[in-house]
Amino acid sequence: MVLSNVTVLICDDSILSRKKMKDFLKVCGVKEIFEAVDGQAAVDEYKDKKPTVVFMDIVMPKKDGIQAVKEIVEFDPEAKIVMASSVGTQSLLKDALKAGAKDFLQKPINDDSILQVLGRIL
Amino acid sequence: MFAQFFGNYLLNKQLVTPEQLITGIQAKNETRLKLGVLAISAGYMSAAQVEEIHERQMLEDKRIGDIAVELGYLTKEQLEELLDTQKVGYLLLGQALVDKGYLTNGQFEAAISDYKHQYQIDETESESFDDEKAEELIRSMCDFSSEDAMMYTKYLVLVMKNLIRFIGDDFTPLKPTRMYPLEIYKDVYQKINGSFTTDTNIVFESADSMLAFANRFSGEGLGATDGEYIDAAVCDFLNINNGLYTVNVSNEINMELRLTPPEVFDDIHDTKGSVMTFPVAYTFGTIYITLSE
Repeated sequence: MVLSNVTVLICDDSILSRKKMKDFLKVCGVKEIFEAVDGQAAVDEYKDKKPTVVFMDIVMPKKDGIQAVKEIVEFDPEAKIVMASSVGTQSLLKDALKAGAKDFLQKPINDDSILQVLGRIL
Repeated sequence: MFAQFFGNYLLNKQLVTPEQLITGIQAKNETRLKLGVLAISAGYMSAAQVEEIHERQMLEDKRIGDIAVELGYLTKEQLEELLDTQKVGYLLLGQALVDKGYLTNGQFEAAISDYKHQYQIDETESESFDDEKAEELIRSMCDFSSEDAMMYTKYLVLVMKNLIRFIGDDFTPLKPTRMYPLEIYKDVYQKINGSFTTDTNIVFESADSMLAFANRFSGEGLGATDGEYIDAAVCDFLNINNGLYTVNVSNEINMELRLTPPEVFDDIHDTKGSVMTFPVAYTFGTIYITLSE
């Protein structure tokens, strides 16, 4: 999988979760990585940077991940958004898919699962 | 998880002091399981027989197992079986406490047999300790008054599993209390909302214990000045634990719960209602899991 043209937006309120994912994606050779610390920042950053892929936490301050997905998909129906959350209940997953998310990663996230999901979605 | 509860039992029976227990837990990982302890635990030999063999071993250059077979205390099959026994947490802990001189073989024999009898744990179960048994042990330690006792119990069992999984097994739960800890460095907080609502907290007494916890969770080699990452690591642990809890509850009893984003406070984030504090003594310091009832 060639990731040198891929840009990624990581939306997570945890600086540690963002760092871990960023460290791994850098090693994988993605072109550029953007970050957002809450749902509102995620929407703003998406509109500004138009990343190839978004990793979106669900439980976040200001605006939760599912609401952010709705607003991003409204702006760009083709957006490739992967939910990345510790809360993987069926009802929340359903809500996320309905909002327009394409896939889901259960936290704690291991590196292999990031590659697998990128393989599915790109 | 049996080893953690066994440590708690030894404390409650005042067979060891908390300091001795922590020393024992620290030594546990470097301890080689002695055949005598295994034989006592399996019920093949008495403490007196083990002592006798130890005395003979000083006179003869033979291995303990061979002497035991010679004396007819063990069959060859039993010896094989004992040698095959893998490192079992609670036995290692018992061995470490005996090695340090905190417990005699006789005290260990009595404690392990009483403990297994009290909680109806047989040899196979202690190795594949199931959730149901853990829930029973948690219930026996806590006095949840509300109708939601089952919800709290499931929560605490999950916390213990995740502590073992993400932080390490070198801990013992201490006696739960109805008070917040006296010394507070930081309180990491997250609310669980829905038909069952509770405030969950992990409270640290010192910067050192919080740093140690954060480093074990993150594996990042954080230093004292990495405050933001230290906070985030504990938040992530709590968030993952609580997220898994909502998934379990949704799958098992079809109840949908929600989480607020985790937050860090410099003092107790006081909440309404009574509090249940569940202290967990790690070798790097004690942490406190608190739940509002």
